Amino acid sequence: MGYHFDWAPIWQHRDQIASGLLVTIALSIAGLLGALLIGLVVGTAGASRRRPARVAAVLYVEGVRNVPLLLHIYLWFLGFSALQLPAFLCAAFGLSIYSGAYAAELIRTGLASVPAQQSEAASALGLKRWTTLRFVIYPQALRAIAPSLASLASQLIKDSSLASVVAVGELAYEAGAVDADTFRTFEVYATITLLYLLLVTVSSHLILRLAPPATPGRRHG
Amino acid sequence: MGELLLHNAPFLLAGLRATLALAGWSALVGTLLAIPVALLRYLDVPVLGRVCAFYIWFIRGTPLLVVLLLAYFALPALFGYRTTAASAALVGFIVFLAAYAAQDMLTGLQSVPRGLIEGAAALGLTRFQVIRLVVAPLGARIALPALFGQYVRMFKYTSVASALGATELTGSVLLVNGRVFQPLPLLGIAALVYLVVCLAISLAGRWLHQRLAPDFAPATPEG
Repeated sequence: MGYHFDWAPIWQHRDQIASGLLVTIALSIAGLLGALLIGLVVGTAGASRRRPARVAAVLYVEGVRNVPLLLHIYLWFLGFSALQLPAFLCAAFGLSIYSGAYAAELIRTGLASVPAQQSEAASALGLKRWTTLRFVIYPQALRAIAPSLASLASQLIKDSSLASVVAVGELAYEAGAVDADTFRTFEVYATITLLYLLLVTVSSHLILRLAPPATPGRRHG
Repeated sequence: MGELLLHNAPFLLAGLRATLALAGWSALVGTLLAIPVALLRYLDVPVLGRVCAFYIWFIRGTPLLVVLLLAYFALPALFGYRTTAASAALVGFIVFLAAYAAQDMLTGLQSVPRGLIEGAAALGLTRFQVIRLVVAPLGARIALPALFGQYVRMFKYTSVASALGATELTGSVLLVNGRVFQPLPLLGIAALVYLVVCLAISLAGRWLHQRLAPDFAPATPEG
């Protein structure tokens, strides 16, 4: 193999790698919040009784998720370059809009999994439409899709690496910069691979712990 | 717009061809590679089963871009060989797809009802025959929609090869854009092409699933 390992330059650049990790975390959180917001609106429309709302939701989901995330990011960065948006925002928009389509599908199936009697019972009790959604339907839907939301989040963390193409200083981008500085190619990419594995594993555990328990009335952890 | 297309059509079409070849070969080879991985995991073969489990966990926890960077920069540095963006991307995509496909196949195999397997064993079929005649065909049908979901994802993800400098569809669009700077029409054309091909793959998957497995619930591909 004849490769001479030297990890010292990686340790010397630890601040740069740590700042990349922080930007990856920030970008993932921004993307996840945006995706959940879009998913909530589009997913609710998709589960709606009104046909136009359902058609609009299907058009959004199919139109967005069949186009590569990379093109979504470039659309904001190059396509709307007249807006002069910072690269971080372009990536966050791209991630939110793209993952929002997946979140919408999840939330739509979650809403559909709540039995119709639940909303009938709620309206029989005199709850208004919005109160029913907020306190009866959404919590149960959320419980049903919590595991899928966790995998959506880890997918999003991994996808955030694509922000490096528009020079957002996240983990993959900083790895390239450290590599160019030190020529410790294998060491630096091995390091960020481990960091991504760690981030994905920890965050999915965290989300599953934060999510409401699968059976009502019982809290774990 | 028309002029833009006319002048760059051959170059963009070559990009599309490269994208189709990249996606097609990685889907084909990745699926073939996934079959033994899924079987080794399913049979829980000592050592090898563990190795396959680690491989699946490792790839599924690593971003595609990082897998490609490992294939393009890190591994050639480690083992001292030279590669090109296109072949590193191909290797990366195959290794990437195989892990996800193996996981889907494993889920398919594991959801074959226990009773069928016990019934087949009671009929005197050997362990190998049970796998070949009962578990594999049923498991493959159950896994089909998920597999086609991976193909759709794979097709979209080929765009990431442009980050290594490969001139597939996205890479060619970026190159043309660098010359003419008309990002909106160029990105729009690329988006439309990806959309059409992805929908076609989804439809093909649904058609195949209905032909092979009419008794199972209709496919709901997770693009």
